[in-house]
Amino acid sequence: MERRKFIQSMFAATAVAAIATPTTIFAEEAKKKTAKKGPNDMTFDEAVKAITEGKEVKDSDKIKLTVPEIAENGAVVPVKVEVDYPMTEKESVTAIHILNTANGNARCADVMLTPANDKAYFATRVKLSKTQEVVALVALSDGSFIKAGKSVKVTIGGCG
Amino acid sequence: MDINRRDFLQIAMALGLIGTVGGGTNLFAGEAAKEKIKNLTFSDIVDFKAKGKATILHICDLHAHIKPLYWREPSTLISAKNLVGTPGFICGDSFMKHYNIKAGSLDQYFDTYNDFSELAKKFGKMGGIAHMKPIIDHVKKERGEKNVILLDSGDTWQGTAVALKTDGEAIVNAQNYLGVDVMVGHWEFTYGKERVMELIEKLDGKFISQNVLDNDPFSDTFEESVFEPYTIQEIGGAKIGIIGQSFPFTSTANPKRFTENWSFALRHESLQEHVDHLRKKEKVDCVVVLSHDGFSVDQELAKKVKGVDFILSGHTHDPSPEPIIVNDTVIIISGSHGKYIGRLDLDIKDKKVAGYNFKLIPVASNLIPADKAGEELIAKEYKPFDKELNEVLGTTKGLLYKRDTFYSTFDALIGQAIQEKMKSDIVFTPGYRWGTTVLPGGDILKDNVYEMTAITYPEVYTFDLKGQVIANLMEDIADNVFNANPLLQQGGDMSRLTGATYSIKIDAPSGKRISDFKIGGKPIDVKKTYRVSSWGGNLQSAGENLDKETPAVYEVVSDYIRKKKVIDIPLESNVKVLDYDCGCPAKGAKC
Repeated sequence: MERRKFIQSMFAATAVAAIATPTTIFAEEAKKKTAKKGPNDMTFDEAVKAITEGKEVKDSDKIKLTVPEIAENGAVVPVKVEVDYPMTEKESVTAIHILNTANGNARCADVMLTPANDKAYFATRVKLSKTQEVVALVALSDGSFIKAGKSVKVTIGGCG
Repeated sequence: MDINRRDFLQIAMALGLIGTVGGGTNLFAGEAAKEKIKNLTFSDIVDFKAKGKATILHICDLHAHIKPLYWREPSTLISAKNLVGTPGFICGDSFMKHYNIKAGSLDQYFDTYNDFSELAKKFGKMGGIAHMKPIIDHVKKERGEKNVILLDSGDTWQGTAVALKTDGEAIVNAQNYLGVDVMVGHWEFTYGKERVMELIEKLDGKFISQNVLDNDPFSDTFEESVFEPYTIQEIGGAKIGIIGQSFPFTSTANPKRFTENWSFALRHESLQEHVDHLRKKEKVDCVVVLSHDGFSVDQELAKKVKGVDFILSGHTHDPSPEPIIVNDTVIIISGSHGKYIGRLDLDIKDKKVAGYNFKLIPVASNLIPADKAGEELIAKEYKPFDKELNEVLGTTKGLLYKRDTFYSTFDALIGQAIQEKMKSDIVFTPGYRWGTTVLPGGDILKDNVYEMTAITYPEVYTFDLKGQVIANLMEDIADNVFNANPLLQQGGDMSRLTGATYSIKIDAPSGKRISDFKIGGKPIDVKKTYRVSSWGGNLQSAGENLDKETPAVYEVVSDYIRKKKVIDIPLESNVKVLDYDCGCPAKGAKC
């Protein structure tokens, strides 16, 4: 079932393209934008802006993001986020946001944390429509943001 | 390190086997030459410069071939530019040059496709358990039974009719006969979880894997290893820690239903933990990873994981006469289809590997007296099916083979048979790397058809796909085969197409590799709906208007051959490679 959706969404994204040129089938596709489909649809950049209110976000190796290189099943991709950061009254991680870069809605999960959580850790599963990046965007108590991203390949497979 | 291939080469030269590589001339003219081939004996084949006290024997990708067969290595083996010309991505002339193999030798016959039909007439079939066993027995006699272990990198239980019809049991019996001590898996899993567990019970050896986790959140063992992750074996007075790696992409390469709630991945972090544990806590003298990751993936793995002495690889079916060394890890792989037994001698001193020697022993069936017990076991396993499997369906004019990155004659035959039966515009046949070879003029037995198609999900599906979806699918498959990052490849070849032609630029970016795609001789229309048939994959899940009739692929192909009687498949590929000039490029994409 999830494969069908994956294919359908791929098709929906390119259905308006005319007959492909002989040189590359994807020449037209690159120019097309995914049409908005739902009320919560938001691009990755829009979602980041909504969370950070336009503040600068730095890549950080304090975030350990664990995702598979190739998804076993695009409908349930395990994502683990651990942040190497103090969890004290003075300084702490206040939120972990998990985002994707190519689904209709870029926001997968928003988790609010307090020092009482003791550890900045969250694991879940997300749905990915196609090969794309999963990004962990982390809010810190000083009002700054850090992030880390990794690519996940979603494939129909076919080779043995 | 002495590979001991030299002995072979000397023999080959002494036989006067001089000819041009790739030439079609008879290299063995004259009765005198024929007489000399007979002089190549068993002791030449097993000749080995022993080292230390412990020996590991390695087999991989038997694909259930308990009988000898013909198996021709690939005539096209193309990958991303950074990988082409390196072991794992060389074939034919580039392989011969890389390993300095002489024309007309037994090595040429076993390791390459060059002059295959000619050499097959002289050297005969390859492999078979009754011919593997004398080699194993010989090594055990030489080294002492307790100093030798036999490790199997998997893809053992699937690939022939006798395996399919006994749900794998005939092959487990064969493994017990050979004395397999430890194994890992891939196609094994296509018998389904329950059957896998039953067969492991029947196996005298152990089935290990550190990278298969129970992923059912409602089970007691959630996120725990399904199998024992490692085993420790003592041979030649040394403690050998062996960690298992089953195929990391089983759940995308084969139907998920067989392994529901089992999670497969490379899991190099937990592999590192096991290595450290074996070294520090168990105080082993040597760490071996028994793997079905694939040759190129294991070369990447060796960069990520420290403290592994040897990786015994499998999956990609490469014969590698010499080991590959990455950092401090030595990687070997022992071909496929029972053609070779890898012998790895270990010299362990001061709790460390002080030296080793490795050789791929070719199982040249005609030069090895068959073991009687093995022949009896084969006869017993085949007896219930002999009548069906020995049926001569027809004959072939040309060579029927499987291995090639894009096209093969046996796959073209399968595609034709399906297209005629299902009346489809286009047929997808999987780019598996297992199968068989039928020599020009040879009979095609029902058994041969099974050797190409014996899977537990043989249904041929026929359905509608839009041109755009077909185009996207081909790009998706191409990205799995030609990705520059071995970790994102899945070790197979391109799906074979019947009813279509295309050009491909291997080094173009993902999604832009394929051009000039034609279906039925006309450029693909992305808006048009095509009738598509496929087997052995997941494509039907993307289709609509699925035909109720889903015949078994081996029956469709058998019926077609019976009807045609004489099969004549052209050697030319329906795929044009734009950025390489030959099928077996050397390093730097040179032809």
